[in-house]
Amino acid sequence: MAIVKMSEFSLFAFDSSKEKLLHELQKFEYIHFLNLEDHIGFQDLGLKKVRVPEGIISVEEDLTRVSHSIEILSKFHKRETGIAAMKKGLDTYTFQELEDEALKIDYLPIYDNINNLWKKRDSIRQSVEKNKGKIQELMPWSGLSTKIQDLNSIRACELLLGTVPKKLQDKLTDVMKENQFTYYEVLEEDKDNLYLIVMSHHNEAEAIKDKLRNVSFSKVQLHGEGTPNEVIKSLEEENNSNIEEISMLEKEIEAMTDALPKLELVYDYLSNKKLRVAAAENFMMTDKVNVIRGYVPTDKEEDFKNRVEDVLENTYYLELKEADKEDIKTPILLRNSKFAQSFESLTGMYALPRYNEIDPTPFLAPFYLAFFGMMAADVGYGLIMLIATFVVLNKFNLSENTKKFIRFFYYLSFSVIIWGFLYGSIFGGIIPIPGLFDPANDYNSLLILSIVFGLIHIYFALALKAYVLIKDGKKKDALFDVGFWYLALTGAIVYLLNMVMVLPPLLKTISLVVMIAGMVGIVATGGREASGMVGKLGGGVYSLYGISGYVGDFVSYSRLMALGLAGGFIAGAVNMMAGMVAQNGIIGFLFAIIIFIFGQTFNLGLTLLGAYVHTIRLTFVEFFGKFYEGGGIGFKKFKTEPKYINLK
Amino acid sequence: MSFTEFIVTYGGVFFAGLGIAVAVFLSGIGSAIGIGIVGQAASGLIIEEPEKFGRSLVLQLLPGTQGLYGFVIGLLVLGQLDAGMGLAHGMYLLAACLPIGFVGWQSAIAQGKTAAAGISILAKNEEHSTKGIIYSVMVETYALLAFVISLILVNAVSF
Repeated sequence: MAIVKMSEFSLFAFDSSKEKLLHELQKFEYIHFLNLEDHIGFQDLGLKKVRVPEGIISVEEDLTRVSHSIEILSKFHKRETGIAAMKKGLDTYTFQELEDEALKIDYLPIYDNINNLWKKRDSIRQSVEKNKGKIQELMPWSGLSTKIQDLNSIRACELLLGTVPKKLQDKLTDVMKENQFTYYEVLEEDKDNLYLIVMSHHNEAEAIKDKLRNVSFSKVQLHGEGTPNEVIKSLEEENNSNIEEISMLEKEIEAMTDALPKLELVYDYLSNKKLRVAAAENFMMTDKVNVIRGYVPTDKEEDFKNRVEDVLENTYYLELKEADKEDIKTPILLRNSKFAQSFESLTGMYALPRYNEIDPTPFLAPFYLAFFGMMAADVGYGLIMLIATFVVLNKFNLSENTKKFIRFFYYLSFSVIIWGFLYGSIFGGIIPIPGLFDPANDYNSLLILSIVFGLIHIYFALALKAYVLIKDGKKKDALFDVGFWYLALTGAIVYLLNMVMVLPPLLKTISLVVMIAGMVGIVATGGREASGMVGKLGGGVYSLYGISGYVGDFVSYSRLMALGLAGGFIAGAVNMMAGMVAQNGIIGFLFAIIIFIFGQTFNLGLTLLGAYVHTIRLTFVEFFGKFYEGGGIGFKKFKTEPKYINLK
Repeated sequence: MSFTEFIVTYGGVFFAGLGIAVAVFLSGIGSAIGIGIVGQAASGLIIEEPEKFGRSLVLQLLPGTQGLYGFVIGLLVLGQLDAGMGLAHGMYLLAACLPIGFVGWQSAIAQGKTAAAGISILAKNEEHSTKGIIYSVMVETYALLAFVISLILVNAVSF
């Protein structure tokens, strides 16, 4: 339950056995390499960085090929979707099985085959598109019954084909009125253009061209053998046979989709191989010996030693020592109970702890659970969550990460149900049950309850801060930074309570004394790191000013009440609308059911989203702000996250 | 009947109704603008990566809550509406509606802009897109505070 203890290792091994070693270590998986390039001193000693560019490039090329093939085949392969597929999930392999299977597959011929077919298909498709363009061009001239080659070879007069914008039609008739040796005809018109044929005697041709230029005439040159209609027909025929050929090729590719699972396996194998090859770039080397450094979890130390021994026999030197507590480079691996594990993603989202901090996950989890429930608070919604997550967890084959995420909501559903009963709310009160609170009227007690929760949350965070300080042997700091704040806050709260309710006068005096003692303590010690009397005092006063921050923190917890109420009221409003519609006969009743289902689903989504993020905010800002810094580096397991399979 | 008499007789229900209107329309306008801003940003993303639709929808939903808070307050005031209610009562209810109306309006727009920026986190670094959601939720805190106050005000004084 906490941060996993790490051991730092230094390993010297011959370069020749590098491949074997890395291969074995990848099976071991729990190893985090340090990049030694920026390690001071090594370069001065004449060590060189290990470089394996050829290795990486060749693996990368293979990866691109395989992923290209997968991409093509996926277009022709209908993946199973729906519940059945989710139940089945991805196949699970161990690393060894993956490697054995993947090495059996000869993927390069498959790639060549697919790639050739695809290229052929592409080029045919291009020619189809080209033909379509040609047909488009010829279409307006289909009225011409003369062969195109004949038109192009007329020498006795000037023959022009072209278009004129339709809006200039009047101008066109106007300019063409007074010609002697010219004939023109509008063959076809569409939305924008007129399609003209113009025949003119050579004597007049130049003048006509000028006139036509004035009406934005643009010349068209037709290509092909035969009349436009014949050309169109032959192009269409060509296209039809092309399209047939494409579908033949596609069928051929489709027949190869059986290879898809194999390729996917190879893809995941190759990504791991790439990681393995690239890992060597972290090392430094002399002429023959590699220097490798990194971390392994302390409880896996023996396993690690044995594996190294197995591979390298006697030709290595290995040194293991406890990881440095203060070193920021020590990687962080969290290990928690099954329950707290589900909340690890929240810690990770903020920042992993440093190696000398504590893992806040088990502490934030119970609060998260309680707060989430209070914001969602509905028996019906909770039951939906519970049933959905339960079914998914037990019936579906999921990857480890998805499972954790679903389990997170599985746990939360209980809290939502319990708070639902406290609020007396099932789907916003569709079935009346007696609750402990009536949210519509008891909002004041709910508000107070929220603030009290905030108080507990923040006091607990301060306690954690004290714990961390004491653990590090800074007992005085724990008193100054936590103890005095406890005094000041508690005193102030009790003193303020005096104003709203009657308490024994003695308590009032005591609280005042406690508060002042705490505040004096804060002023006296808050600036202890500053230099000089003035600096110390100023720092102290500034620390005390931090009390305004606490006021803000407490107020912030009012969202616990507000979101719970808002969700409840919206659900209630949906029910009200459904109820009004339901009174209008059988059709009304049907509509009411639709309104109910749609409205409640919408509100369910919104409520859960709101509860999820607002609880995160309370955790990150109000809770973490008191004691948690974070900023550790995550432990990078020596394995990639597979894309198409589950890797054990 | 003079104008003053008219106001005294019917002003109560008028101002209470105005309160409902203010709570609902101001926060509604804000949410609509906010959601619109995020929607525009998200559309640009979906052209390239349609598989991120689900996550972008979560971001788009965020500025929508203000409108709902206003709606809830409006609904609560609606429950107190009565043709013969006094002028002071009506004006008080109008005042109670102002916090969620105004804060809801402006905060939804601010939240929409933040969420739209969150879309670019989703575009470039999907793993961390939840952080964009959290930034955007920071804005909502103030709408929530206004909602709490409006809620308390609506029920605090009985006439």
